[in-house]
Amino acid sequence: MNIISTSNLTKSYKRYEKEEGLKGSIKSLFKRQFIMKDAVDNFSIDIRKGEFVGLIGPNGAGKTTLVKMLTGIIAPTSGDITVLGYYPNKLQNEYKKQYAVVMGQKSQLFFELTPSDTFVLFKELYNIPDKIYKENIEYFIDLFDIKDLLNVQVRTLSLGERMKMELIVSLLHNPTILFLDEPTIGLDAIAQKQIRHFLKEVNEKKDTTIILTSHYMEDIKSLCKRCIVINEGKKIYDGSLKSLFARYQTHKMITILFEYESSISLPYDIEILESSPYKISFMIKKFEVNKVLKYIIENYEIADISIEEEDIGNVVERIYSNKVGDIE
Amino acid sequence: MRRNLRFIWILFKLKLSHLMVFRLSFFGAFFADGILFLIQLLVFSAIYGNVDMIGNWNQAQMIIFIGTFSLINAISMVLAFFGINQLPNKIKSGALDHYLTKPISPLLRLSFESIDLGSIPLIVLAMVLIAYGISISGIILTFTSVAGYIVLVILMTILWYDVELIIRTIPFFVVSGTAITRVEELLELCFRVPGILFKGVYKIVFYFILPYGIMATVPTQFISNTITTWELAYGVGIVLLFTVFTIWLWRFGVSHYKSASS
Repeated sequence: MNIISTSNLTKSYKRYEKEEGLKGSIKSLFKRQFIMKDAVDNFSIDIRKGEFVGLIGPNGAGKTTLVKMLTGIIAPTSGDITVLGYYPNKLQNEYKKQYAVVMGQKSQLFFELTPSDTFVLFKELYNIPDKIYKENIEYFIDLFDIKDLLNVQVRTLSLGERMKMELIVSLLHNPTILFLDEPTIGLDAIAQKQIRHFLKEVNEKKDTTIILTSHYMEDIKSLCKRCIVINEGKKIYDGSLKSLFARYQTHKMITILFEYESSISLPYDIEILESSPYKISFMIKKFEVNKVLKYIIENYEIADISIEEEDIGNVVERIYSNKVGDIE
Repeated sequence: MRRNLRFIWILFKLKLSHLMVFRLSFFGAFFADGILFLIQLLVFSAIYGNVDMIGNWNQAQMIIFIGTFSLINAISMVLAFFGINQLPNKIKSGALDHYLTKPISPLLRLSFESIDLGSIPLIVLAMVLIAYGISISGIILTFTSVAGYIVLVILMTILWYDVELIIRTIPFFVVSGTAITRVEELLELCFRVPGILFKGVYKIVFYFILPYGIMATVPTQFISNTITTWELAYGVGIVLLFTVFTIWLWRFGVSHYKSASS
């Protein structure tokens, strides 16, 4: 069953534009020039209950705008949008009780107070029965192991600890949908890993539908089976992450260590990453791996070979530089 | 309604806890607001103490007037001013996002989340001033006059809230509304001038466009039995008109909210 459905969803913004310098400023004081920008352009998606969907795209791609329309914060310019049977921008409380949103760069905690104080406010906001509130607090405390942090001032918490609290406070009322906008931004590797583990658990155990936007491909790769790629407001891919990688992780990184000093020359179109008398690293297209390796093995004395997947960053770059309709 | 009151109570407790984190600010707030009140009182006694009549008001009516505007001002400060005063910043920074996504009226939360305890003693002082004004005026109080006065003070506090909110919803539609807020802060000083003194275009401005002229004037006229039926009806009518407009403007503003990018 689809719980999120959009059809030809578009959000256009009017942007103020002026020529550089004081002259331009004076001119624009009397005659304003605006340009229209489609932050989200004819976007159609359907999301089923319980899905964990990753929304990836470069800065300004339209990910956050899409989340803001789905949560009702802003109204679409045109197109249809239904979430849990509601039109989000009507801002009905019945709808708002069924979702939660966490924005990595906009905190909803009281900085001078303790996380417990914010929890109390949210208990009241969502009218959470005592039993469910207690159960959830215990469950999340256990999952994150943050019992000692509940009664300390939020401002004294690390960024990672604060994000854990943001997630807990958002999930206290057992939302059907959780919107996450860059939840791991700025976090260290350990905190990122803990948050990914937490989200995975919430999705599986509580059957919460999660829509995750992130710059970090690692977040998407380790959490989402389905991935939507957005660029310049347009959807350029919607499907399994596996297929996306099969399509875009087109290269392998090969590192070869030689027994003896060697000067290698390869009769193929390859990108050399590192070269020394005893070692060479290069990127090569997947379908050429066999013949290149065969050539090297036949012509050189090899001490060791490693074949690795291409770096995620390269894959992302390739995905974003693609044009609409190139995939699927 | 019950849920909203319960929510306001939680906000009050949280604000209290928040204030108590900073001990100096907590006690300092009472001191600062008290000093401000005393300065205002000195200024007014210097102005009005040297004349017997202002317009057709005597000294006792002036004292009731000063007490009334101090009361409306203090109630507004305690309840909503510091909350709605943050609205322009919340619109500009995108912090309003979290208010819109919670299942409670964003305006209710915004209005009551910054309750200012420092102004509570001012309510008491203002009431003392009103009582003193009444005692020297020779006005005979009846249940109707007291109840009517209280209702009018509540209505005028709502009107004050409406005007403050209208000004602060402007950033929904423009990039910056700072200049308008500053102009309004200056015009708000006219709240301290009895409405009976305004004539011509000033009367139109301060009775209709920015109705500061009637806020403390109408309750003062009511309790001192100098109000006409027309003036009373106008006072109540303008509150209704402004409240309806404020609600409409707020909703219209929210539907135009652009939410600053993070």
